[in-house]
Amino acid sequence: MSTRSTERRAPGARRLLLWLPLLPFFLFGILMEIIPILSVLLSSLRDSQGGLSLANYARAMTKINRESFMNSVRLSAITAALGVGIGSLAGYAIMQSRSLFFRKVATALADVATNFGGAPLAFAFIVTLGSTGIVTQLLKKAFGIALYPSFRVYSVSGLVLAYLYFQLPLMILLIQPSLRGLKEEWREAALNLGATEARYWAKVALPVLAPSLAGGFLLLFANSYGAYATAWTLTGPDINLVTIRIAALIRGEVQLEPGTADAMAVISLAIMSLCVLGSMLTNRLTQRWKS
Amino acid sequence: MSYLSLHGVEKRFAGVQAVKDLSLEIEKGALVSFLGPSGCGKTSTLRMIAGFEEPDRGAILLGGEDITKLPANRRDIGMVFQSYALFPNMTVRSNIAFGLETRRLAAGEVRARVDAALEMVRLGDTANRYPHQLSGGQQQRIALARALAFRPRVLLLDEPLSALDAEVRVALRGEIRRIQSELAITTVYVTHDQEEALSISDLVAVMNKGSIEQVGTPEEIYHRPKTRFVAGFIGTANQFVGELSASGRIACDQLSICATAPSTSAAGGPVVVLVRPENIAIRMERPSEAGLNILEGDIETITFHGAVTRLGVNVGGRKVTADMTADQKNRGCALNQRVWLSFSPEACQVMPQEDP
Amino acid sequence: MRTRSAWRGAIIAIFLIYMLVPLLATLLFSFATRWDRTILPEGLSIQWWKAVMAKRAFGMTLRNSLALSLATMLASIILVAPTAYWTHLRLPKARPYVELFTILPFGIPGVVLALALIRCYARFGAAVVYSPAMLVAACMVISLPFMYRPVLNALNAADVKVLTEAAQSLGAGWFRTMTRVIVPNIMSGIASGALLVFSTVFVEFTLANLLVGARFKTFPMYLVEFTRFDGRQASALAVISFVFAWLASIGVLLAAGRSEGAREGAAGAK
Repeated sequence: MSTRSTERRAPGARRLLLWLPLLPFFLFGILMEIIPILSVLLSSLRDSQGGLSLANYARAMTKINRESFMNSVRLSAITAALGVGIGSLAGYAIMQSRSLFFRKVATALADVATNFGGAPLAFAFIVTLGSTGIVTQLLKKAFGIALYPSFRVYSVSGLVLAYLYFQLPLMILLIQPSLRGLKEEWREAALNLGATEARYWAKVALPVLAPSLAGGFLLLFANSYGAYATAWTLTGPDINLVTIRIAALIRGEVQLEPGTADAMAVISLAIMSLCVLGSMLTNRLTQRWKS
Repeated sequence: MSYLSLHGVEKRFAGVQAVKDLSLEIEKGALVSFLGPSGCGKTSTLRMIAGFEEPDRGAILLGGEDITKLPANRRDIGMVFQSYALFPNMTVRSNIAFGLETRRLAAGEVRARVDAALEMVRLGDTANRYPHQLSGGQQQRIALARALAFRPRVLLLDEPLSALDAEVRVALRGEIRRIQSELAITTVYVTHDQEEALSISDLVAVMNKGSIEQVGTPEEIYHRPKTRFVAGFIGTANQFVGELSASGRIACDQLSICATAPSTSAAGGPVVVLVRPENIAIRMERPSEAGLNILEGDIETITFHGAVTRLGVNVGGRKVTADMTADQKNRGCALNQRVWLSFSPEACQVMPQEDP
Repeated sequence: MRTRSAWRGAIIAIFLIYMLVPLLATLLFSFATRWDRTILPEGLSIQWWKAVMAKRAFGMTLRNSLALSLATMLASIILVAPTAYWTHLRLPKARPYVELFTILPFGIPGVVLALALIRCYARFGAAVVYSPAMLVAACMVISLPFMYRPVLNALNAADVKVLTEAAQSLGAGWFRTMTRVIVPNIMSGIASGALLVFSTVFVEFTLANLLVGARFKTFPMYLVEFTRFDGRQASALAVISFVFAWLASIGVLLAAGRSEGAREGAAGAK
């Protein structure tokens, strides 16, 4: 960059030039994120004649669609809660391990699994726990435990199991920095002041971890809510989830006004934004004590 | 009758001997420092007193009671950590109240004691703030208040000042000593800073490689070090290795040094003579007084230290360090100048070469 | 102390079993001859692998997915790395806006993104909105966070500002500073990000299925198709997907290992 030529320009123009290299990125973000979202928002507010109306939202709230929201929220809440609970315990157990090698391997496994998801994962669960799955057979033949018909991998309980496969590792990764932030001195100081281990956890460790746990829950919730491929591969159109429903509407498999999908998408975006914003807020809370 | 005693305490970590056969008696109300380089076992010893580590061997007695295996949370020993270790999720008040509430004191009593503790460290106005809103020095004073509020039997301080700025360090050091004497609380203070240890302690235990090298008052430790390590670790000392002859003179290469009371060391054995730089006078011409040790050499380095200027003098290939006070400095001296160093036999400390 | 390490061991064991059994089961299943009558497979063979790899569609979908992943990866590097560098060094003021665009994708489910793109660009015709180029752009959106975070962390870790000043004080010009100092120091971050993008896009199903459908069949779409009628051959495809994911992840770990922390915060949504 030639400083001599820029010096002569007005400071305003120079400042503008400074933004120039960021133009492609912002253009991309606007074209691929902002405008598409806005156009869904707008078309969700239009009726078939092009007038402003909330009819699409009314259709998004018919019984079957309402059920899809409830199913998605319930599935997300369950997998997020289990993910936070078990993931934090597992993350803590991994971190406490003496062997550096094991800690690295376990973290690497979590790393990979977080990005697994999708079709291959769902299929792996069918192979493992499907009606003729390997573990299903093993339990039946070796231990006489019949999973089916009370359990079905192609149902909500199967989805919970499959989703946990990426939820647990994600929580392990999310909680690790906060667990590392728990100083051993705090435990020692609490013991030194006469507290029991339980009191240390109740009064110090858990309150310190609380924002991270809440933030983790929100991210896991969003992660599960937006998932589609896993559910689609595992259960096909049988299960009534928001993402499955929107996809079906896109493909025109369901005879409905096209605007219904838009309204459902906008509601989903609202739910997801609340989760992401909430998790950013809790993230700020965890930073609060670090000054 | 000692209050806190360590009897033959040993500790190994992953095969490394951190503390070896350490015994020490501490009087009630005394402030004893463990002083030594990092890895000398001073912090391990402190953590065994606190109950965070269990000794492999030996016993720790407090007021006649064996506390070696007592869990940390039942010892009634207060501790101040290097990193303050204040609970970040609690206000200053809740931090100080923590030890009182675990002991199920009545709310009014807790309140009164917290206020008193805050008053003691002169931070009464910070009660409702959070630790991250305080400076490092303030946080450490709160940590001190927290450790004292439940009236522990012993106070332990683990390098409490090493995370602080130099100025705060000196001020807080005085504060700790003041509070400690007011409460007359038995205190163990771990530090690697000799100035800190010397200025604050009733007794200093100098540690090296897991053992105590010497226990004594700060004056004893400084003026009459018992081992080469202590002499080298505390302040600066010139060390001359030589043979003690029957006449009481010490032959050290070409030099011959005269020292008083060469203690009990056997004549003919190898000894070390220690001379502090401040006890060596610098002359521009050969002194004529009798009875002084005199060395002749050339100035190699001149380092300004404020109150003194330290000279490095090459005496026949051996570097000898001597201090010059400010008024001496005016006489002027320059690099490569020939000078004569003199010191009295009384200024020499003689000890066997092999540490006991 | 004893009981505490016991529950730790138990939870780690359960976690490992849960994480590894589905993978091992799929692997074994793809080599098993017959496995519905016995506890262990009756025999092992590579017949399913042979069968699935002999199909023309196998090579085509694999090539399609590799091409898609590589194209997305390269485009992401070109778009994100200079942006992160410029924001970090010259225009910190722009950082919140840049981060907004990299965080937004976390809040957009794949199906919603597909729908939004269709709504927005369908007016330009099917050739635009249902094109592989649109799919690449959409995949770039969902992988923006994976590219941006590691590069940013590498920039932070390398203290690029000081390095730039040091290089300039030693007389290096802009080009020399870039090629000899900056890029080598943030290479690990770029590599981590690129591999994450690669592995994310390689298993991506939602966008490909909804945006291009049968016109540009990717490997995950082929796999989903197979799960409906031939489990054995599908398991071989799943194993291939897992191997790609593992290879990419090992690459990330190796790259990140050289600059500790570059990987931190790269975890993200599905």
